[in-house]
Amino acid sequence: MSENMMTRRAFLGASAGVAAAAACAGGVSAVSGAQAFAADDAAGEGVTRQVHTLCNACSSKCGFTAYVVDGKLTKVIGDADHPYAQGVLCARGYGYTQIAYSEDRLTDPLKKNAQGKFEAISWDQAYAEIAEKVKAIIDENGPEALAMVQDPRPSGKYYTKRFMNALGSANVYTHGAACNLSKEAGFTQVIGTGNYESDVENSRMTMFIGRSYADAIRPSSVAALQKAHENGARIVLVDPRCNNSVAFADEWVPINPGTDMAFVLGMANVLITRGLYDADYVAENAVGFDEWASYVRTTCTPEWAAEITGIPANTITRLACEFAEAAPAASIEPSWRGAFGCAYANSGETARVVCLFNTLLGCWNQPGGALLTSSVSAGDLDKEKFPSVPKPEGKLLGQDVYPLALSGMGSNVYAAQAAKGGQIKGMFFYNSNMAAGYSNTAYLAEALGALELMVVVDVQMSETAQLADYVLPECSYLERMELPEFIGGKVPCVALRDQVIERVHPNTKSCDEIFSELAAACGVGDYFNFTVEELAEAQLATVGVSLDDLRRAGTISFPEKAFAYGSTPKWKTPTGKIQFTSEACEKAGLSAYPVWVEPEVMPDAAAGTLRLIGGKQAHMSHTQTANIQDLMQITKDYELDRVWLSTEVAEKLGIADGDEVLVSNECAEGKARVKVTERLNPTALFMPSHYGCSSPDEHTAYGVGLRQMDFVPFHIEPGYGATMSQEALVTVKKVGA
Amino acid sequence: MARYGMLINTKKCIGCYACRVACQRQNGLLPDENFIRFEEREEGTYPSVSVEHVPLQCMHCEDAPCAAVCPTGAAHIGADGIVAVDQGRCIGCLYCMAACPYQVRVRNSQTGAVDKCRFCVVSAHESGTKSCNCVDACLTGARIFGDLDDPDSEISQEIARTHAAPIAGDLTKSKIFYVR
Repeated sequence: MSENMMTRRAFLGASAGVAAAAACAGGVSAVSGAQAFAADDAAGEGVTRQVHTLCNACSSKCGFTAYVVDGKLTKVIGDADHPYAQGVLCARGYGYTQIAYSEDRLTDPLKKNAQGKFEAISWDQAYAEIAEKVKAIIDENGPEALAMVQDPRPSGKYYTKRFMNALGSANVYTHGAACNLSKEAGFTQVIGTGNYESDVENSRMTMFIGRSYADAIRPSSVAALQKAHENGARIVLVDPRCNNSVAFADEWVPINPGTDMAFVLGMANVLITRGLYDADYVAENAVGFDEWASYVRTTCTPEWAAEITGIPANTITRLACEFAEAAPAASIEPSWRGAFGCAYANSGETARVVCLFNTLLGCWNQPGGALLTSSVSAGDLDKEKFPSVPKPEGKLLGQDVYPLALSGMGSNVYAAQAAKGGQIKGMFFYNSNMAAGYSNTAYLAEALGALELMVVVDVQMSETAQLADYVLPECSYLERMELPEFIGGKVPCVALRDQVIERVHPNTKSCDEIFSELAAACGVGDYFNFTVEELAEAQLATVGVSLDDLRRAGTISFPEKAFAYGSTPKWKTPTGKIQFTSEACEKAGLSAYPVWVEPEVMPDAAAGTLRLIGGKQAHMSHTQTANIQDLMQITKDYELDRVWLSTEVAEKLGIADGDEVLVSNECAEGKARVKVTERLNPTALFMPSHYGCSSPDEHTAYGVGLRQMDFVPFHIEPGYGATMSQEALVTVKKVGA
Repeated sequence: MARYGMLINTKKCIGCYACRVACQRQNGLLPDENFIRFEEREEGTYPSVSVEHVPLQCMHCEDAPCAAVCPTGAAHIGADGIVAVDQGRCIGCLYCMAACPYQVRVRNSQTGAVDKCRFCVVSAHESGTKSCNCVDACLTGARIFGDLDDPDSEISQEIARTHAAPIAGDLTKSKIFYVR
């Protein structure tokens, strides 16, 4: 009898009454023993452990409590104290736990042999051979020929950087150039910091541009949006796609993709020409307003913006006036990847204009406005135990070409270009599927293929891992503890990813072990003579918290550092003010004050081209979640890998809902089924971003749907260094027509 | 005795599938064994368009067609009025799947037996959750579980306030009430 059967029988037995069952609340239960988690019958003692930890299904890293019965994970419940979870998880949070028990897990270090096939080798052999190649590259080309790409995780961001810096290389890149680099870099030029938080729940009006809390879920954000809606706040979605946040919105503004900058400039024109902006606030806090205002006044009329954006001039005017009425309890939300994180030739400049518009509202740090909240971080550590790594001599490669890219992110696509050009010889990847998600996949395969050494650390055989010379298997996020995660916000806090279950595959290692041991093999082990526990304990001690306390609580907040409304932020810009003009932008070849920048390409209805846009679905984050059975089954049940086409275009092309279509452009072509919908701007084709896996070792994801990045040319946003993920045009036709 | 039911407010539903996956994981179901089914309805024309997400699951009908057609008594109405399937007695004839007007019963691909929403509050209570897993998991509070016979219960109050009704009227005397 399978455990599944036992489960059900036990349920029937137990269903005699809620009262009896409730009496056992908090007790131990075999009833909920999760079949999919467990390979054999639970014949253990029925001992339940509860462990606080952090999710890894997306970058939010929500806190939850894992219930472990006899060593097996049976249940996860969002932690009420965690600022992002607030007691609940999203679909990914539940589903992604399956990665620990996935049949597609990497279990041993792999080396690609002369035939191009992977064979298992020992850790010692892997370390020795990688170290030998690292040394050869350093000897011949210097440490600047080495680079790291990583999607930041609590331990990963520390160990990968320390490892590269110890080798003497400054080339540490995040995934940012394919996510939020343009946005954060643009904001930094204006307000001196890469992000802010819209106080949605207390606002009278909040506008979202290309971001949907309901499709890229952080539970606290959904809650804030819902509260705002229930409080009667005006919620406006500016998006080529009518996304699922519309449940809590008042208005969908179906903008032509790539034209958000013109839209915000048009609204700014209304505020400035009608004198509806906060002139005192601008005079006190900003520099360069007059120059920009003169441009906006003369050029960016609502009629001008209407022509570009496809949104009627009177709508632009009305929304600007509504903003003025709601200010300062109003803001444009900072968005994330969607519209101007990395999408267009004008993304960084769009981000600048968004911050300037919020400045016109005088909403910084006002209740309901745009907030620069507090943060806490670990202080200085004992230099004996945790010696500082000398600053590498070389600069982060690409900084001279894309000077506006934040030094904490860098331009990973430039790094790929440098690999292709032979400037970078050895590359490491941690928690990054660059080859499938960062830019044109054919280009990236060629560029990374040119490397002398490519090492990938991952839990499953991603497309990036397929290209590697060495693949090092990490244990999953449920099988390792990581460094404390400091979280900024209205009340800053610290949380911990802790080990929930024993390692499922004994020959896997955690990120801290892998990079410490690799460092030792490369001769720089002196910088890694500590365990992750020791480092965590030391970091926490600097903020007055013990590791034991954090383990018990899961999340510990710092109320004494809480954000206070009404304060004037310290603008960390070169001028110490909000910058309507930026010297750095001018030096980078852009306009000192942001002026309208045309997208690189524009769709042409007459030529039958559509702009290819991507986006998240609530049950998927990225390629990593696509290989999870529970989550992919939802895609299959509801055909969520379909591309979206507007009814208007579909009728013109004789395409009906459910038809198979051929999507093509100069980079790629592929077949997909189509969803014909009224929820899409007719200049766009929407392709969900998570699909089209080409790694046959990811059995669940392989071959499902099309991959957006196959269709996007390789190119880099001027000044900012981002990937311009939506500067791609495609045509579509019915298969067989 | 309590008469358990659920209210689902589709005006609060964002179609995020959290309820479905929480139900699967926490109840130990197979990836293709889903007790919650979704219908999405798009209304209006571009750009004045709205979308409604309707989660459907076993309605725990008082007049349950599945129980009526089941040849072995596996599908039955239990003590709390909770419609249940005795897995050991199910012969996999799938009559119940054909009879269910809501199409919310699923066949277990490993055992061949049919299963569906169990109003899992009973088992859930024992392992840490406060209510049914889907209710606990809902990000927007769209779901309320409780005793329909208790006029003071949250669900009874909310049904009265919102005029929530079964999805198909009086068809089967279903105990899931919808706000739409």
